[in-house]
Amino acid sequence: MKILITGAGGFLGARIVNSLLRMGQTDLRCQVREGRGVEKLQQIAKDAGAPALEIVACNLLSERDTMRLLEGIELVIHAAAGTRGTPADMMLNTVVATRNLLDAAVAARVRRVAVVSSFAVYRTESMANGAELNETSPVEAVGIAKGPYAYSKVRQEQLVCEYAERHGLDYVFVRPGVIYGDGGSAMSSRVGIRALGWFFSLGGSCLIPFTHADNCADAMAVAALNGAPRGIYNAVDNDLPSCNDYLRRYRREVEKLRVIPLPYSLLLAGSKYLLNYSKRSKGQLPAILTPYIVKSMYRKLGYTNAALAGIGWTQRVSTAQGLDDVMAALKKPKA
Amino acid sequence: MTLRVAIVGCGKIADSHIEQVRAVGTATVVAVCDREALMAEQLAVRFDIPAHYTDMTKMLAEQSVDVVHVATPPDSHVALATAAFRAGCHVFLEKPVALTGHETRQILDAATQANRKLCVNYLYNFEAPSLELKEKLGSGQIGPVVHVEATYGYDLAGDYGVAVLSDAGHWVHRLPGKLFHNVLDHVVCKLAMVMPLEPVQVSCLAFRARPAVGNPVIDALADELRFTLRAGDVTATAIISAHARPVGHTLRVYGRKDSVSLDYVGRTLVPVPRQTQPSSIGRLGPAIAQARAYAASAKRNLGRFRRHEFHFFQGMRVLLDQFYAQIANNTPAPLSHAEILWSVETIDAIVVQINRQISPEQRADA
Repeated sequence: MKILITGAGGFLGARIVNSLLRMGQTDLRCQVREGRGVEKLQQIAKDAGAPALEIVACNLLSERDTMRLLEGIELVIHAAAGTRGTPADMMLNTVVATRNLLDAAVAARVRRVAVVSSFAVYRTESMANGAELNETSPVEAVGIAKGPYAYSKVRQEQLVCEYAERHGLDYVFVRPGVIYGDGGSAMSSRVGIRALGWFFSLGGSCLIPFTHADNCADAMAVAALNGAPRGIYNAVDNDLPSCNDYLRRYRREVEKLRVIPLPYSLLLAGSKYLLNYSKRSKGQLPAILTPYIVKSMYRKLGYTNAALAGIGWTQRVSTAQGLDDVMAALKKPKA
Repeated sequence: MTLRVAIVGCGKIADSHIEQVRAVGTATVVAVCDREALMAEQLAVRFDIPAHYTDMTKMLAEQSVDVVHVATPPDSHVALATAAFRAGCHVFLEKPVALTGHETRQILDAATQANRKLCVNYLYNFEAPSLELKEKLGSGQIGPVVHVEATYGYDLAGDYGVAVLSDAGHWVHRLPGKLFHNVLDHVVCKLAMVMPLEPVQVSCLAFRARPAVGNPVIDALADELRFTLRAGDVTATAIISAHARPVGHTLRVYGRKDSVSLDYVGRTLVPVPRQTQPSSIGRLGPAIAQARAYAASAKRNLGRFRRHEFHFFQGMRVLLDQFYAQIANNTPAPLSHAEILWSVETIDAIVVQINRQISPEQRADA
């Protein structure tokens, strides 16, 4: 089966290629942006003893190039997305790129599109403390209240569903929590944020819904190959640490931080003040934390990977090992 | 009178247009438009705009619009601006105004023929240091200008740089002056505040300082520029750099009576140090005078912050306020046609030199 992996040169995409090779899938076409990650992919194929990968430099914003990219493909694993930049950048690189991909997938009669989505699509603001987030939890109708990233991922899922209805395209969504690993971000905003030379600890005793990049990549590969039609799977690991656990370890092993812990009540009050100030000052300071975002992100929820385990996924990298590896990588001086 | 505004082009800068239109308070955004339906939709959803379109002509036929903000890539500006003028709208144009001086003249002529107003987003000319500079020039404190020095830095590792360097199809590669064409306005429009609006003599040095990646389109993009201008008796030098750190944004104006130094990163304007006492004592005073001048600038900035007049795009807010007042009350134009045209034709002259300066080795390298 010919499989296309978009964003294959990226942090998660390259690992998805590795996971597919481990599962015996070798007929892979890897889409990268302007030569990025080519050497990494070649090394992955070499280490796996696999034949050379088909690596295609293609910008998914080009409709013509994307049409060509999809020729002969049966299964798409769509990992390319806009995770940084302005809201317009995120919309362009996540939603417009997905629309081009879907148009090409329909034209090429692709059987299934497996999409890397996000926990950001869930409407967690209204969930009770201690509730379990799973695949049946409510999803945001628009998502803009949670910020531009959430909006782009919600709109991306909606677009895929629209194409599924209109063209009978099958899809699978994998919604990862916080993807971590060597080469990823050191500190999730769920743990806290740096500002004015301080680190504001926001997550406290809440669990971080970590998924190690290798485990998440396995989840993508398993769901794409074995997932139910129109299946949805949350990707999260077992034995999750709390935000405090992670921060303590980070401070001990990686970097000394001047930390100001903000309890939930204070954080909520602060976000209300910031929102009012932002409105009053006509945006002189942006309302990066609103009460809606605080209620959505900084509450104690439980997480499960039962649905994923039900289709054969197992956690390859234990949380203890994953955290050891990531702390060791973060300790290394940057080149 | 509340002006009805439409935004054409729903990319990254469109957010700032809507935010500043709303902050000015004398206009309201009634519709947005982008050739890409999903981009028009997202802007309308995020800012709760009542209507969105993929066709400007249709939008202007269905909506009552007073001002069109054109925030698309510059190769579309002539067509969009002239169509908006024909539809009876005033136009606020994002920079670069157009690809060439010739195209800019077409836009200016269309505005004149339609008797509509045109303004360009030369926001830095309306930042606090520029406004203070205009006051000093107007009051004669600086005297006739002798020379101007400008610096402008940018970071290719930022979101914008990554977008341009990872996509050979990015519209910046289609500009005659490529990357510089998109930032030269930030320098040249400021020179227009102090130089005579006469034809310029230009000498220029442009080159690529980053390693080649093997893509001929991307490697043809130079990232370091130095130029010298002369207009009448006033000269200017400028450095535009992708590699100098920290990323700077300054202007220094040398007058026959006094000289001043403007920093757009810290929003300060201070006099250039002057020795007023003899011998070594004379070397002590300037640093103290500088410290006091910076302290006064900081105090002014704190006051602006307290009064909510210190937004990142405050200059754009001031400019829009003046442009909307020009439309509604016929007050003086914030930017003259002559100033706009001089800026674009000066950029044309620099671009000609840039394209001569890309060395054969770099082309071969690419």
